[in-house]
Amino acid sequence: MSMLLEVSGVTVTFDGFRAINNLSINFAPTELRAIIGPNGAGKTTFMDIVTGKTKPDTGHVIWGDRNISLLGMSESQIAREGIGRKFQKPTVFEAQTVRQNLAMALKNPRGPFAVLMHKKTRSNAERIEAIAGQVGLSDSLTRVAGELSHGQKQWLEIGMLLAQEPRLMLVDEPAAGMTPEEREKTTDILKEAAKTRAVVVVEHDMEFVRRLDCKVTVLHEGAVLAEGSLDHVTSNQTVIDVYLGRAHA
Amino acid sequence: MRKSFLAENPSVLWFIAILAVFTLVVTLLSEVTGVGLISTSFVKTLGKTLCLCLVAIAMDVVWGYCGILSLGHFAFFGIGGYAIGMWLMYARTEGIVIESFAGQPIPPTPQEVSDAIGNQIFGVVGSSEFPLIWGFADSLFLQLLMVVLVPGLLALVFGWLAFRSRVTGVYLSILTQAMTLALALYLFQNDSGLRGNNGLSGLQNIPGFEDASQASISIVFFIASAVALAAGYVFFAWIVSGKMGSVIKGIRDNEARVRFLGYHVESYKLFVFTTTAVVAGIAGALYYPQAGIINPGEIAPIASIYLAVWVAIGGRGRLYGAVIGAAFVSLLSSWFTGGGAPDINLGFYVIQWTDWWLVLLGFSFVAVTLFFPKGIGGLFDLLVRKQS
Repeated sequence: MSMLLEVSGVTVTFDGFRAINNLSINFAPTELRAIIGPNGAGKTTFMDIVTGKTKPDTGHVIWGDRNISLLGMSESQIAREGIGRKFQKPTVFEAQTVRQNLAMALKNPRGPFAVLMHKKTRSNAERIEAIAGQVGLSDSLTRVAGELSHGQKQWLEIGMLLAQEPRLMLVDEPAAGMTPEEREKTTDILKEAAKTRAVVVVEHDMEFVRRLDCKVTVLHEGAVLAEGSLDHVTSNQTVIDVYLGRAHA
Repeated sequence: MRKSFLAENPSVLWFIAILAVFTLVVTLLSEVTGVGLISTSFVKTLGKTLCLCLVAIAMDVVWGYCGILSLGHFAFFGIGGYAIGMWLMYARTEGIVIESFAGQPIPPTPQEVSDAIGNQIFGVVGSSEFPLIWGFADSLFLQLLMVVLVPGLLALVFGWLAFRSRVTGVYLSILTQAMTLALALYLFQNDSGLRGNNGLSGLQNIPGFEDASQASISIVFFIASAVALAAGYVFFAWIVSGKMGSVIKGIRDNEARVRFLGYHVESYKLFVFTTTAVVAGIAGALYYPQAGIINPGEIAPIASIYLAVWVAIGGRGRLYGAVIGAAFVSLLSSWFTGGGAPDINLGFYVIQWTDWWLVLLGFSFVAVTLFFPKGIGGLFDLLVRKQS
């Protein structure tokens, strides 16, 4: 099966510190993947590289059916290629309504002229309502995003991600600060999304990862330490030593 | 579903209505109708104030909506003034020169006419040659084009360089201050081709209307300024109300997030920076014929800072706030500095407002920033809340 995203031999150094060390990792067109690892393992840097925020020193990042390299592209070009990103801290546009937030994210031409001439259409409104329904914000469309609860902001951001219709969703700690019920719902949203695209979840919380019930990649010191089912990686002695052991110590 | 943009933004209609009534009342009370309750010089002050309101809403769009604190937009205003001033001065001097040659038995050659005009205009800086930049000064149409093109191109090139390198925040503000300072210093030079620190003068005399009184000229410019302000207001309200407005405000609040949504942030910033610069140029072109004179001091860095102060006091992120701020502060400023405010005698010290006005303005700015971040325009929120 051909891969959606192939990261191979990538190294990034910040002031002599190797944040990513010869990292190779692949993602299939439809899959749900969790990336775990201790602080400083390079999880966020990995996302920065894929989304174009950080340029690696060496290595390749190959995307899609046409096998194009993402390394020379800007953040906005990569986003238009179909890679969406959710930040660790919920980042929605707090001064604007939920509907405006979703409308901005909705997959449509992104050029200034097209945006200036943009007309509200029935089909766009229906898409926005459908997505709001998916993330449980149907009743909040006219509310200002800044008034939403923490969990609702997280969902709005996931909704914005869905509205972009990406082929790869990078989701950084979606369950942080959520109640158990909210977590359950978030799990459902992500599992549903992963049926038609690749969803990569970076997470600290083992309980949440267990709920996702998917393939897990453990990062340590900027490289892949282990990969497989959660039970497989948690029984790995090296993983226990460097990550779980420390976490439970 | 599809409501028109005006129906969704009732404040625009309110603004146009109030502006129309104001324009009508001032016109009726001016010397033109014979009522004369409003003097010609005050009509000019009001007309100039409308132009300042226009450049203030441009500033509000670039700063209040898009988050780019440009401290150089008054430079674009000045360039617009210089561009129209060149034609006004050339055409008027040409008329005078041709008239003075009229009595002579041998008609002057075109070279003699051109030399005489050059001598008249550039005599003060010890020159009579027309600099290259005056190449289009004989054509009103081309100079009007310059009013739009020169600020637009300068903003486009400057913005492209700055935004492409991702210069943001205070660094961008400093760069724009440097731009306006460099321009002012250049214009101060006698060999800049724009008469150095003398600037361009006599701009209140409109060529072709030598017989018209200043009273009627001032009313024409006053109405033209009101129309320009109304058009600019509708134009910017349209830009900031739709999806464009969403993206622009998004850039203000979280530039990186907008980028990860797939928008090319730099293009949007460039669009906003350039459009507002063009509108600033148009406002300047309407302002200086009413002021009568433009010199490089007008483009000094402090002018652009005042512009930001007006918008902050009036209320950022709402167009009528910028209008209120610009009108209120600039009229108050001319009242205080023009000797309108009575001096206060403290016995041991006399507070002369011509000197102390800036102190008062400075304190007001600090007070507004600290205690009323929404500015005067924020008072309208209280009104609306009381009604609902």
